[in-house]
Amino acid sequence: MTLIFEVMNVRLSDCKVGEELKVEKIEDGEIAPKLIEMGLTENLITKIIFIAPLGDPIALDINGFVLSIRKSEAKHILVNKISS
Amino acid sequence: MKIALLGNPNTGKSSVFNLLTGMRQKIGNFPGVTVEKKSGNYSDGEESIEIIDFPGTYSLNPRSVDEEVVSKVLNDPSNPDYPDLIMAVIDASRIENNLFLFTQLYDLGLPMVLVLNMWDLAKKEGIQIDVNKLQECFPDITIIHTNARVGIGKDRIIKTIKNHKKRADISFIKSEEVPQKTEESFDRKIVALRKKKIQELTPSFVKKTKPKKTSKLDLLFVHPLWGYLFFLLVLMVIFQFIFSFASYPMDWIESSFLSLSEFTASTLPSGVINDLISQGIVPGIGGVFIFIPQIALLFFFIAILEETGYLSRVVFIMDRIMRPLGLNGKSIVPLISSLACAIPGVMSTRTISNWKERLITILIAPLMSCSARIPVYTLLIALVIPEGHVFGFINIQGLVLFGLYLLGIIGALFTAFILKLLIQNKSKGFLLLEIPNLKAPVWRNVGFTVLEKIKIFVFDAGKIILAISIILWFMASYGPDNEIENSSQELINSEAYKASNSEEQQSLKSSLMLEHSYIGHLGKFIEPVIEPLGYDWKIGISLISSFAAREVFVGSLSTIYAVHDEREEKQNLRETMKNEKRADGSPTYTMASGISLMVFYVFAMQCMSTLAVVKRETQSWKWPIIQLIFMGVMAYSLSYLSFLILS
Repeated sequence: MTLIFEVMNVRLSDCKVGEELKVEKIEDGEIAPKLIEMGLTENLITKIIFIAPLGDPIALDINGFVLSIRKSEAKHILVNKISS
Repeated sequence: MKIALLGNPNTGKSSVFNLLTGMRQKIGNFPGVTVEKKSGNYSDGEESIEIIDFPGTYSLNPRSVDEEVVSKVLNDPSNPDYPDLIMAVIDASRIENNLFLFTQLYDLGLPMVLVLNMWDLAKKEGIQIDVNKLQECFPDITIIHTNARVGIGKDRIIKTIKNHKKRADISFIKSEEVPQKTEESFDRKIVALRKKKIQELTPSFVKKTKPKKTSKLDLLFVHPLWGYLFFLLVLMVIFQFIFSFASYPMDWIESSFLSLSEFTASTLPSGVINDLISQGIVPGIGGVFIFIPQIALLFFFIAILEETGYLSRVVFIMDRIMRPLGLNGKSIVPLISSLACAIPGVMSTRTISNWKERLITILIAPLMSCSARIPVYTLLIALVIPEGHVFGFINIQGLVLFGLYLLGIIGALFTAFILKLLIQNKSKGFLLLEIPNLKAPVWRNVGFTVLEKIKIFVFDAGKIILAISIILWFMASYGPDNEIENSSQELINSEAYKASNSEEQQSLKSSLMLEHSYIGHLGKFIEPVIEPLGYDWKIGISLISSFAAREVFVGSLSTIYAVHDEREEKQNLRETMKNEKRADGSPTYTMASGISLMVFYVFAMQCMSTLAVVKRETQSWKWPIIQLIFMGVMAYSLSYLSFLILS
C-alpha cells in the first residue's frame, strides 16, 4: 500500500482529532525510549482519538491501545498527515 | 516454588492472582523499598506454591517507584524474592503492545508461562491470535489463554505451571544484535530494536479484522463540560455514601470499644496494668478501628472507578488543570483519598513517576480535611455557629462545614503552587497514561483491594496510632512529683466534692488528674503561645493530645471538663463548653475562638501517623519536618487572623 501524504512533517501537538497520521520522527530525549516502549514508534500509523478539554493532554490510538501524552511530549513528535 | 506474576497494568493480572490464591493472600514489603509486596499461595496437589504479584509495568526500565522494584528483584538472583518461574500475563486484545515487557522477561532466561488473558474480549474486538504460531516463536515456554475476569482457566493455569518446560537458552534479542553500550543514545537504540522486532513478528500470528471504535461513554467522560460535571457528580455520590453510611459502623465500633474498656477496667485487678489496658491500649486500638468503615468505603469506590477504567479518564481531563500547580493528573486520586485519611492518600502517590509532582502531592495531601477532623468540626460548629438558614433553605451550620472543606482544598492548591516555585527539579514531568477499555468491574478484585487497603492501614498506621495513644495515656495519667496525689487530697476535702454524688466525684477527679499531669503542664506551658488565637490551656491540652489522632480532641475535652456519663458525652460536653468561662468571666467558646480553632484544625499537621508515612515514602525526615512546620505556620497565622477579625 502506498500512502499519500497531505501534509508533511507537522508536529503531533498541532494535529486534530481523527486525522490519520504516520509518525515520521521522534526527536531524541529522555522521554523517547519510554514512548517507544509504549508503542509510539517511528512509522506507526495512528490518530488522535481525544483531546482533553483544555487542549492538553491528547490520547492516541496505537493499534487498539490508547496512550495519552502531554502536548509538551507531542511537540517532539513529527508526523505526516495521510489523505484518505 | 516461587512464582513471579508480571504483566502490564490493566491486563487482568490481579484477576489471575485472585483466581489462584483466593483468600490466601498477604501484604508485606519488598526488602529495602517501600513498595507493597502482595503475595499468596496455592497448592497444586503436591507442593505449596508462592506467587508474588508484582506491580504492573510496561517494561523492565523503570519510570516510577512502583516499577523500580520489578527490575530490582528480577536482576538480582540473590534477592529473597527472586522467582523460580515467571508467569507473564498479557491482554490478548493488545498483544503487540504487551509483548514488549513479555520479550524482556523472556530474555531473562527463567522458566516461563505465558497467559493470554481477556481472550473473549480480543475475539469480540476482532483480534485473532494463532497460538500455535506464537508458540513457534517462543518454543521453550508454555502458552495458554484464559478469561480470568469471569474465573475461567484456573485449573489449566495450575496444571501448566506444574508441567512447565525447561528453557532452551533461546533469547528474543540475540546478544550479537545488541548495540555497544558506549554508543550514543544506547537506551533508545535497544528499546527501538526490541520494538521493531516485535512489530515485524506480530503479523505472523495476529490478525485484526475490525477497526477500533470509540465508546459513546468516552465522549461523555472527556467532554469539556459534561466530563467535569460527571466527575463532580461521582465525587458527590461517593462522599454522600461515605459520610452517611460510615457513621453506623463507626458508632458501633465506638460503643463496642467503650464497653470493652469498661469491661477490662472492671474485671482486671486495679492498678497500673489495668489503667494501661483500659485507658491506653483499648482506646488506642479503638482509635485505629474507628477509621476502617470510611477507608473501606472510599477504597471500595476508588477500586470500582479504577477497575472500570474511568479513573484514567479522570486523570486525562484533570492533568492540564493540575499542572500549573506542580501536580499531575494522577495526583487527583491521592487528594481524594486524603479526604478520608491522608495515610492511604500519601501511599497512593507511588504511581506518579515525576519526583517533584509526587512530592508536592504528598506534602499537600494532609491539608485535605480528613475524616478525623469531622468530630472536631461538628462539635465546634454545634457550639459556636447558630442554627438557622440563609436564603431560607441553606443550613448555616452545613454551610460552615462545607466552607471548612473548601478552605482545606484551597489551602492545599495554594501550597502546591508555592511549593512548585520552591522545589528544585531537573527532570521534566511527563504523563504517559494508558486509557484502558471501559469494562464492568470484577467485584472479587474490588473486594480484595478493599481488604488490602484496610490491612495496610491497620498494620502500618495502626502501630503508630497505638504507640502514640499509649504515650499520651502515660503523659495524661502521671505528673511531676506527687502533684496529682496532693491535689486530689485537697479535692477530697473540699466542700464541693463532698456534696457531689459518686459519678460526679469521679469526673472531678479525672479532670484534676489531667490538669496536674505532664500533659496538663504542657498545656499550661504553651498557653502564652496559643492565647493570641483565643485558646486557653485546656484547649492546649486537647491540641497536644490530638497528635494521636485529631478526633481525640473531643475525648480529651470531655475529660478535662469532667463530663461524666460517657454515653451522652457529646450532648453534655457541648453544654459544659457553652458555660465555660475565662478568668475575666467572658465565655471561652465564642464565634471568634471557635472559628479560630476550626481554622487551626483545617491547617495544622496534627497527625503523627501521617508524618511517619510521609517519612517512609520520602525516605527522609526532611520532608515530614518541613511539612509539620509549614502547616503549623499556616494554622497559627490563619487562626490568629480569623480570631483577630472576628473578635
